[in-house]
Amino acid sequence: MTREEILNELKTVIAPYTMNKEMLNSINDQTDLIKDLKINSANLVDIIIDAEAKYHIEIDYDSADKMINVGSCLDVITEKINQK
Amino acid sequence: MMSTGNDIVALKAINIARTKEYNFYKKIISPFEKELYDMQLSGKMSFENFVWLLWSVKESAYKYLQRITPALIFSPTKIIVNQLEMPIYEEVPKFVDQIEGCGFDNEKVYKGVVAFDDQTIYSRSIIGEGFIFSVVNQVDNFEGTFWGIQMISSSEPSCQSEKVRAFLSARLSVLFPSNNLQICKNQGCPILFNDSDEFPVPISLAHHEQYVAYSLCLNAK
Repeated sequence: MTREEILNELKTVIAPYTMNKEMLNSINDQTDLIKDLKINSANLVDIIIDAEAKYHIEIDYDSADKMINVGSCLDVITEKINQK
Repeated sequence: MMSTGNDIVALKAINIARTKEYNFYKKIISPFEKELYDMQLSGKMSFENFVWLLWSVKESAYKYLQRITPALIFSPTKIIVNQLEMPIYEEVPKFVDQIEGCGFDNEKVYKGVVAFDDQTIYSRSIIGEGFIFSVVNQVDNFEGTFWGIQMISSSEPSCQSEKVRAFLSARLSVLFPSNNLQICKNQGCPILFNDSDEFPVPISLAHHEQYVAYSLCLNAK
């Protein structure tokens, strides 16, 4: 999968949890999940679980800790897909 | 360095079935904490309340620690709740649209002891009808901890932000009537300014759905 394809799927993973749905169409690597997309921190675990199910990957604790913006989410998901 | 940290979880927003799934809760609680629940607490509180109470304690501890170490990353399973003492009287606090306090009646709150690396932090938590609220301190004494919980009309982020600041500002105006205090942000932490000088009282803000909450610590050591 290309980074762009992963990004497009990641938007569907994030969509149920963001309070700023308008911004979803213009997200980039620097978009912060909490500050920009207004996702409550309590939902970050949901996003990690949903990403694991969507891509059939396991995201370990250290990798999950890095998933604070869109770019780091894409990096972690790409790395885990490549490890399969 | 002085600090404080608080967090609130709106119970209607949690997914009970998902919370009970191993793949979910293992990202919030450690095997030690699961054993703590199984051995000491399983007959006394629901598992979902346990998981989200620990989440609120860990998030509070993170906010407390992040003020001291701005680059700190929130990693729930690395903040360990070593002890959790049940309230003697599980009386749900009277809550219409808001509740405020200073310190806690220790017989009516959940008391926790939390470890992160070599640091020990203490917590107090309240489980209300619609929320779980926690606050932490570096000593096992909350006499100087002022706190508040308020239900608001909207869960829009801009409304949450505005309302929690107004709620805390109202308390500050009573506690410090002669000061002109403004709530600002520095490296992700809310801080107080008195005119152009930083005011040495740590504050913490929290919101989830239609609940907002604050804590501030006056005798932080």
